[in-house]
Amino acid sequence: MMLARVADSLYWMGRYVERAEHMCRLSDVMLNATLDRSDAATQVARIVLAAVGDNDPDKAKSPYDAARSLALDRGDGGSITTSLSRARENARQVRDQITTETWERLNLIYLRVTGPGAAKAFNDGSSAFLHDIIADLHLFRGAADATMSHGEGWRFLLLGMYLERAQLNGRLLEVFFGDVRKRPITDHFALTSLLRMSCALEPYLRRYTADVRPELILEFLMFDEDFPRSIRFSTARIEEHLSAASRYVDAAHTGPERMAGRLKARLQYADVENIKLGEAGALLTTVLDECAAIHAAIYDTFVAYSLEMRLPA
Amino acid sequence: MATAKRSDTSAIEASDGAIPYDEMLTLAGEVRSHYTGLDERIATLASEDMAERQRTLERFFLLQGITFTVYGAESSTERIIPTDLLPRIIPAEEWATIEKGLTQRLRALNMFLADIYGEQQILMDGVVPRDLVLMAPSYRREMQNLYVPHQAYANVCGSDLIRQPNGAFAVLEDNLRVPSGVSYMLANREASKRTFPGTFRASNVRAIDRYPDLLLSTLKGMAADWRPNPQVVVLTPGVYNSAYYEHAYLARLMGCPLVEGRDLVVHDNMVYMRTTTGLRRIDVIYRRVDDDFIDPLTFRRDSGLGVAGLFNAYRAGNVVICNAPGTGVADDKAVYAYVPEIIKYYLGEDAILPNIETFLCREPAQLSHVLANLDKLVVKAVGASGGYGMLIGPHASAKERSEFADALRADPANYIAQPTIQLSTAPCLIDGGIDPRHVDLRPFILSGEKITVTPGALTRVALKKGSLVVNSSQGGGSKDTWILAGETEEPQS
Repeated sequence: MMLARVADSLYWMGRYVERAEHMCRLSDVMLNATLDRSDAATQVARIVLAAVGDNDPDKAKSPYDAARSLALDRGDGGSITTSLSRARENARQVRDQITTETWERLNLIYLRVTGPGAAKAFNDGSSAFLHDIIADLHLFRGAADATMSHGEGWRFLLLGMYLERAQLNGRLLEVFFGDVRKRPITDHFALTSLLRMSCALEPYLRRYTADVRPELILEFLMFDEDFPRSIRFSTARIEEHLSAASRYVDAAHTGPERMAGRLKARLQYADVENIKLGEAGALLTTVLDECAAIHAAIYDTFVAYSLEMRLPA
Repeated sequence: MATAKRSDTSAIEASDGAIPYDEMLTLAGEVRSHYTGLDERIATLASEDMAERQRTLERFFLLQGITFTVYGAESSTERIIPTDLLPRIIPAEEWATIEKGLTQRLRALNMFLADIYGEQQILMDGVVPRDLVLMAPSYRREMQNLYVPHQAYANVCGSDLIRQPNGAFAVLEDNLRVPSGVSYMLANREASKRTFPGTFRASNVRAIDRYPDLLLSTLKGMAADWRPNPQVVVLTPGVYNSAYYEHAYLARLMGCPLVEGRDLVVHDNMVYMRTTTGLRRIDVIYRRVDDDFIDPLTFRRDSGLGVAGLFNAYRAGNVVICNAPGTGVADDKAVYAYVPEIIKYYLGEDAILPNIETFLCREPAQLSHVLANLDKLVVKAVGASGGYGMLIGPHASAKERSEFADALRADPANYIAQPTIQLSTAPCLIDGGIDPRHVDLRPFILSGEKITVTPGALTRVALKKGSLVVNSSQGGGSKDTWILAGETEEPQS
C-alpha cells in the first residue's frame, strides 16, 4: 500500500532518470561524430533529432550546438538538465519514500548539472561531462537497488524506467528501420552510432563479433533476451513489475497487467528469423502504441481512479 | 588558554545597560568548565582547518537537501540554512531546571486550553480577562466542548528560551501551533558528531535520536483508546513550504506516509488517503498546516492545502488532529503575560522559568509607559510571528518609532512591549575566526499521556554582528546544542 501520488512520482522519477541517461548517450554520440567527417556528423545529428522528435531541419547543420542544447537547455523539455531537474523534483515530492542513499545520488547529479559550473564543464570537456552523468546515474540505480526495499515503491520506479527505455529505444529503431517511405539506414558509421546510442556496442560484438549488419542489430536490439536495453528485455521487466504491483489491487483492476503480458509475449514469441528489415516498422508501431496504452492504464488504475469505485464497503 | 574573545558590548546597548551573558567565558575571561573540552580542541585547529570543516558541513546539508528555496524571477536557487560549526553546551544542572520548568509550563498550558474550551473557570475567576481570550484571533469557537484525549492539546511544543545577563533562562515565547526546527536539531547533531567526534565522545552528551519514535508514540497514544494500531500520517502543505524538508524528514524517520491535502478524502466523517490499492482510513494526523488552512469548510474557504470535511470528522471523534486546532490562543503574545498566573492557578506552584516583563498595551497605564519608552522597548504585534511586525526600539529610527506609535494608539490591544533583552552570546565560527554572536534556545516538548522534554534543542544564532534577531527569515542560523549528562541521566548510547 502506498499513496497514489507517491506511486505516480516514483514512476515519473524513473522515467526522467532513464530519459536523462538516454539523452546523455545521444548527445555524446553526436559530439563524437563532429570529430569525424562532417557529413557523418550531420547524418547522426539528423537521426538524433528525429529520435527526440525535433523536426527543425536547420539544427542538424550545427551538430555541436544541437548536442549542447540537448544537454544543457533548460527551455528544452527533453534536455538532460530538464529531465534531471524533473527527476529530482519528483524525488523531493517523495523524499520520505526513498532512502537517503538514493536521494543523495540524484541530488548530487542535479546540483552539479544545474550549478553555475555546468556550462563551463561542458565546454571544457563535453564527453567527460556526459560520461560523469551516466556514471552517476548508474550509482543512483545501484543505490536504489541496494538500499530501497524491493516493494511496491521500487516497482513503480522501475516500471517508469523500463517503460521509458522501451519507448526511447523503440523510437530510435523506428528512425533507422521503421519508415516505409525511406530505405532503412544501413551504412556502417550510422549503424555503429546506433549501437553506441543504445549502449550496445560491446555486448553486440561479443554476441555477433565485428560483423555489423543491420538485420543482426535489429534482432539484437529488439529480441535479445538478456541484453538489458533490448525491447524484449524491457517489456519482460514491465510485465514483471506490473504484475507484482497489481498483486495488491483486486482482480477487477488488472487491466495494465494483462496488456503488459500481451506485449511481452509478442516479443518473446516473435518469429525472429523471418522478420525482414523492411517489415520491422509495423511491429515497432505496435510496440510503441501498446507502451503508450500501458502508460495510460497505469495512471487510470493506480493513480487517478474514480473514488466511487473504491469506497470501503 | 581561551581562544575566544568576549563580545564587544559597545555594539548594542541593552535597556538596562547589562553586559550579555557569555555561554563560554566568565566575566573574568575564563573558560567555563563545561566548555574546556571544546576550547582545547579549537585551539589545536588551524583556521584553514576550521574553514574546511565548515565547508564539509555545508556540503553535508546541501547533499541531504536540508535547504530552503529562494524563488527568483527566472530561476530558483536552493540555500542551506546557515549552520555554525561550534556546538553550544549546556551543563546538566542547568538543563534540569529547564526541563522541570518546561514540563510545568506545558502542563499548565494544556490545562488552560482544556478549561477555556470547556468550563472556562479561569475566566469566571477573573484570572485572565475574558475578552483577551475570547477575542484573540487564534481562539477557535469550533473547539468548544470537544473531547481531547489526555487533555493534550499541544502535542508538540517548541518554546523559545533566552538566557538573561544574570545567567538565568527565561521564556520569551511559547510555540503551541506548528513549531518547526526539530529536523535542524537532529541534522545539526549528525553534523557535529562528524565534525568533533573525539570531543563529542568525551563530553558525555545526551542522545536526541529517539525524538522520532517518541513523537510517533505520542501521536499513536492520542488514538490508542479506540484504535489498537492507529494509522498516523504527516500532513504537509507541500514541497514549496519552507519547512518541507522537515515534514519529509519526520515522516521518513517515523515510517508514516507524508500526505498533502489532495491525497485525503473525507467520506461519512471518516478520513481516508488515496493509495494505489484504494482508500485507506487514517486515525491520527500530525498536521504541519496552520489552523486556518486545514479545512475549507470550517476555516478559510480559499484554502487548497486542507481537506474539506476534516473538522467534522475530528468533531465526530473519527480522527485526531495534532496539535489540536485552537492551541494558538495559549501562545498568544498577550496571553503570554498571564502564564505565571495560569501556572499558579492550575498547579498552585510558582513558575520555575520566569517570563520576560511584558507590557500589555490594552491597559491604558501600560500603553502610556510604552509610548514614553519606545526607544528602549521591543514592541510586537500580538498576532504576528517570525520576527515580522515588530519594532526594536533601540535600533529603530525616530521616524520608524513615531510611525509605530501611531499604530499603537490606533489599535493598542494588538500590541505588547518588552524590554530589549541582551540575549546571551556563544562563540561562533565567523570568517575563519571565532567571534561571539547572540543566541536563543528552542527545546522541543512532547505531550500525550505524559510530557517529555527532548534532551536537546535548536540554538538559533543571530549571525549578523550585534544583531538580536535569530529568526531564519531575518538572517539567523543555527547550531547544535549539547546537553551534558549528569550523574543520574543516561549518557550517549
